[in-house]
Amino acid sequence: MAKKITIALAGNPNSGKTTIFNNLTGSRQHVGNWPGVTVEKKEGSLKYKDYEIKVVDLPGTYSLTAYSLDEVVARNFVVEERPDVVVDIVDASNLERNLYLTTQFMELGVRLVIALNMSDRAEESGHKIDTKKLSELLGVPVVSTIGHKNRGMDELLQAIVDVADGKFDRGNVTPRYGEEIEEEIRKIEELIQRDAGLMQRYAPRWIAIKLLEGDEEVTKKVTGEK
Amino acid sequence: MDRREILDQVRKSSEHLKGIFDDEVETIIVDRRYGFINGIYKKVVSRPAIERLSASDQIDRVVLNRVLGIPIFLFLMWLMFKFTFTLSEVPMGWVESGQEWLGNIFGRFFPAESAFQSLVVEGIIGGVGSVIIFVPIIFLLFFCMAILEDSGYMARAAFVMDRFMHKIGLHGRSFIPMILGLGCNIPGIMACRTIDQERDRLTTILVNPFMSCGARLPVYALLIGAFFPEKGGTVLYSIYILGIVMAIVMAKLFRKYLFPGPAAPFVMELPPYRIPTIKGVIIHMWERGVLYLKKAGTIILAGCVLVWFLGNFPWSPEYSKDYDRLKQEVKADSASGLITKAARDESIANLENEQAREKMEKSYLGGLGRIIEPVVKPLGFDWKIGVGLFGGFIAKEIVVGTLGTLYAVGEADEESAPLRERIQRDTWPDGRKIYTPLTAFTLMVFTLLYMPCVAAIGVIYRETNSWKWPLFAAGYTTAVAWVVSFIVYQGGRLIGLG
Repeated sequence: MAKKITIALAGNPNSGKTTIFNNLTGSRQHVGNWPGVTVEKKEGSLKYKDYEIKVVDLPGTYSLTAYSLDEVVARNFVVEERPDVVVDIVDASNLERNLYLTTQFMELGVRLVIALNMSDRAEESGHKIDTKKLSELLGVPVVSTIGHKNRGMDELLQAIVDVADGKFDRGNVTPRYGEEIEEEIRKIEELIQRDAGLMQRYAPRWIAIKLLEGDEEVTKKVTGEK
Repeated sequence: MDRREILDQVRKSSEHLKGIFDDEVETIIVDRRYGFINGIYKKVVSRPAIERLSASDQIDRVVLNRVLGIPIFLFLMWLMFKFTFTLSEVPMGWVESGQEWLGNIFGRFFPAESAFQSLVVEGIIGGVGSVIIFVPIIFLLFFCMAILEDSGYMARAAFVMDRFMHKIGLHGRSFIPMILGLGCNIPGIMACRTIDQERDRLTTILVNPFMSCGARLPVYALLIGAFFPEKGGTVLYSIYILGIVMAIVMAKLFRKYLFPGPAAPFVMELPPYRIPTIKGVIIHMWERGVLYLKKAGTIILAGCVLVWFLGNFPWSPEYSKDYDRLKQEVKADSASGLITKAARDESIANLENEQAREKMEKSYLGGLGRIIEPVVKPLGFDWKIGVGLFGGFIAKEIVVGTLGTLYAVGEADEESAPLRERIQRDTWPDGRKIYTPLTAFTLMVFTLLYMPCVAAIGVIYRETNSWKWPLFAAGYTTAVAWVVSFIVYQGGRLIGLG
């Protein structure tokens, strides 16, 4: 019996996400629209060992705010459809900017694998990235990939199924915001934890942070406007 | 469930944070996220030699430099203490004269020699007043710390220390609770919650009391003012550094023997530098400083009244001599022309001082002091210091408050001299001065290291959820304090100091 899992591919625009999507799924893809909006939705599937993996390609985004439609689509899919694993494609030659989205997924509390893509290009420009350390610091498996040369795909798939099986405990790593902000986050979190309805769907810390950021979508959800 | 409550809290929190940072919360949160990323980036990427650097990166290149990082941190700390100590002299003088004036007014206002006059003048003004004097220095220190924190430098200090902390089996995260401990150990201990690994957290909690909190500052300030007025900033700095060194040494020992195991990897946030806003700095200073004032009005007041009571009762003990009769005799001698007026005043003053001293020795506090004295004598302390240190368990400022009360009681005259001058004059029965610079320094060391205050013990209990650790903390810190003080005092005497 094949185990069925769903994974979502996320990443910044131009991080080589589409190449990896194509590498993984080959010709087994179809294109549609995200429900209710005119953003293109690509899905595909593949078999790896005894897994049947459904791959959903999320829109390329820099963050997960409520400011752009792409970001809302990506965020809602992760929150509402709960894919087993989110694969964050990170452009190694632009690590700082790309990790911003990563921190967003970490805060959401999803199960994450990082594909450190285009690592060849980063090394050409003289940057050396210590992937082992990166993985330790983030508490997330990090796999080096070179999308356009189709390298690292097996390792990536292995990391994905490991995480899906709960073989990688990511601990409790998230950005900390300093004494004062953390204090306020704690206060809000405590109130959220008393609300079973909210607790079911979101990580309380994430809601608290989004509310403090003044995120309109999340605020609306909390007030109960569906 | 009413979710409006949540939104109300969000609104309140946002406004509060906006007040502190003088910026939108969203901006600050995004900044901090980049700080988190920057911290990761600096650790995992080795960069090519030539690259364009942002201003923040350029500062970091110097401040986070492998060789210069720690010296820069130590220098900034020294600067902070120098600045705090020098600048606080003037306002402290004002508070001191205000307090003297108040003591004299109240002294005349209440019936002389009554228990009530004694309570107000000696217990409250003498005790609490001697603690209040140090408000300016505390606010100034918190002011400096707020600037270092708000500018983003403290995060760098933690980053610099990270490499070093790994050597002792901890990481830079543990350094932040330690820095907070410099304000007050309680938030310091609570901040250890951000440390995930239990053994790292316990170690950091247990060594936090060695970080010299604001409450200990009055003790240092009193002694430095009396015995090291020229080198105030440096002496103060050496005490703080000693605390940090002891914390590190003990952490290393705990990590090796009590909680062995590897250190967990951690991200050190490096938020972008910001010019601190005046409002933010003032709010931070105020939030911490006001705790000190509140404490003076509650627990320290209660402690001083208790010390006053124990030092004054029994109110009329059985004296070894009948002082009243002796005084009458002196007056009679003077009236009949046997002795001069000056000689009469002198003998009466002597008799009164002798009586006051005997009264104190026969008080409950004197009894307690006799029990403590043998323990603290090898450190060069007399029973009054012993009693003060005993009271310091309630709150460290009470060491000063107790001395204030004790010396106010000891001096029979109504004119109150500053406590600083009184301790300079005090002698052992054989006439040697009790306080030499060496004793003063030893007392500072002991105050720095010994048992955390009741409130800190309570927080350790809450954070570890067991009585084992708070009791252990109280015991081991006191043992360390005694041993180190003994080495300082006896060693100092051996090489001919004091």
